[in-house]
Amino acid sequence: MSVARALWTGSLSFGLVNVPVSLVAATRDVDFHFRQLHRKDGAPIDVQRWCSKEDVEIPYEEITHGYELEDGGQVVGSDLELPAIEPSRTRTIDIEQFVDLADVDPLYFDHPYFLVPAGDDDGSIRAYRLLTEVMGRTDRAALGQFVMRAKEYLAIVRERDGALTLTTMLFADEIRELGGIDRAYQKSHKPTRKQLDARSRCSRSSRAIGIPTRTRTATAPGSSASSTVSARARRSSSPRMASSRTRPRI
Amino acid sequence: MARSISNGTIRFGVAAVPIKVHSAVEDHGIHFHQVHVKDGARVQQRICSKDGKAVPDKQVVKGYEVRSGEYVILDQEEIDAASGRRSRAIELEEFVRAAEIDPVYYERSYYLGAGKDGRDAYRLLHDALERSERVGIGRWVFHNREYLVAVRSLDHVLALHTMRFSEELIDSGSLDFPAPRRRPGRREIEMASALVDELHARFEPESFADSYRDRVLELIRMKARGEEPDLPEAPEREDAPDLMAALEASLAA
Repeated sequence: MSVARALWTGSLSFGLVNVPVSLVAATRDVDFHFRQLHRKDGAPIDVQRWCSKEDVEIPYEEITHGYELEDGGQVVGSDLELPAIEPSRTRTIDIEQFVDLADVDPLYFDHPYFLVPAGDDDGSIRAYRLLTEVMGRTDRAALGQFVMRAKEYLAIVRERDGALTLTTMLFADEIRELGGIDRAYQKSHKPTRKQLDARSRCSRSSRAIGIPTRTRTATAPGSSASSTVSARARRSSSPRMASSRTRPRI
Repeated sequence: MARSISNGTIRFGVAAVPIKVHSAVEDHGIHFHQVHVKDGARVQQRICSKDGKAVPDKQVVKGYEVRSGEYVILDQEEIDAASGRRSRAIELEEFVRAAEIDPVYYERSYYLGAGKDGRDAYRLLHDALERSERVGIGRWVFHNREYLVAVRSLDHVLALHTMRFSEELIDSGSLDFPAPRRRPGRREIEMASALVDELHARFEPESFADSYRDRVLELIRMKARGEEPDLPEAPEREDAPDLMAALEASLAA
């Protein structure tokens, strides 16, 4: 197995312990892709860097970022200045705190990656292993911020199957307020217990249907553990999720 | 709250809950485009392989390669028709506990509002999910793609998350990174655990902010005024001391 391509390289710092790490993909693209064609002649379209003014191909080194201003003008900045705005976060993920994974609402999760040891000296690899083991034992996850490709991310790092998983997260101001959603709740209209019980029975029975296999064979989260889960669920009608600190893997 | 982006129905068993879908996320990113450093002209990337000229958007069609170099052109309507299920129903097929879903499965989040004449049904589904502490798993066709989705109660509304399919996730076993010659010792584990405890806090999302975004905007404003920015120096990183010494120093700090 070849070594996965690093999307970012830097260090994960934990107190005064620095662990050199590379960020690698945790997802693969399984979507169906079409080729773009030119309608006129049916010829495939090549992706090239082409100057819209001069009509020539541009070498990679001559490409920079442009930002369009409200008055139609534009600011051109070189790639090199952007990371320089925050040099430390461009190279380091500083662990600011550890949190319980169960306290993080799924709304915040964005994109998963893996962190793998980047240094080949035994000390770095052992520091990586130490952090992995300690987080795995406690079911705690580390929070830190870092800059990748001219964007700052909040990231949560935790142990998963013996490796560190980093998931980028949304910042609080990127999540919309709930106000204005048609939730239609008037206190006097609370459903009766009988209605709820009927609905719960329906939820439980439909569990047994399972997820049908379609063109893409999907494994629904939780489906592998379905029999034990539903058995447990039937015994206790209202299990407290918050009290469960263990998160079974799926 | 922004307008809804789609209407639909959640079905489970014989029940139908009309819903409106709203995005739960707003994009605050700063968007750049690629320009030619010499003249600031936009970089045009789509070039016809036959005549070597830039292709305008309207002239781009989708093709599928049937034999090497031979394509069939498909237009959007044909693709839509082929995608089959055009139903707007979200079928909930099973109910699981939220804690059983690994965070790597969550993709994008939406809020669901009650649809027309659907308040009672909406409330019932909301309360049933809240009371049973379950998440409904189902499928949703949106923009001609089929998604695996999780529907759950969130405060007084329902939230929907699109989920990654497990075949989209790479197994950590394929990473193939070296193991240390010596496993971390008991004392190292104890000290690292003590450090984790010391840094343990309740998750407060508001305490994290994207300061980089503001600084990039400031940089853009300065450059627009023709000023040269004063950029910070990269801090020197000290060489890592040995693991034990670093742990000791961290705990003493």
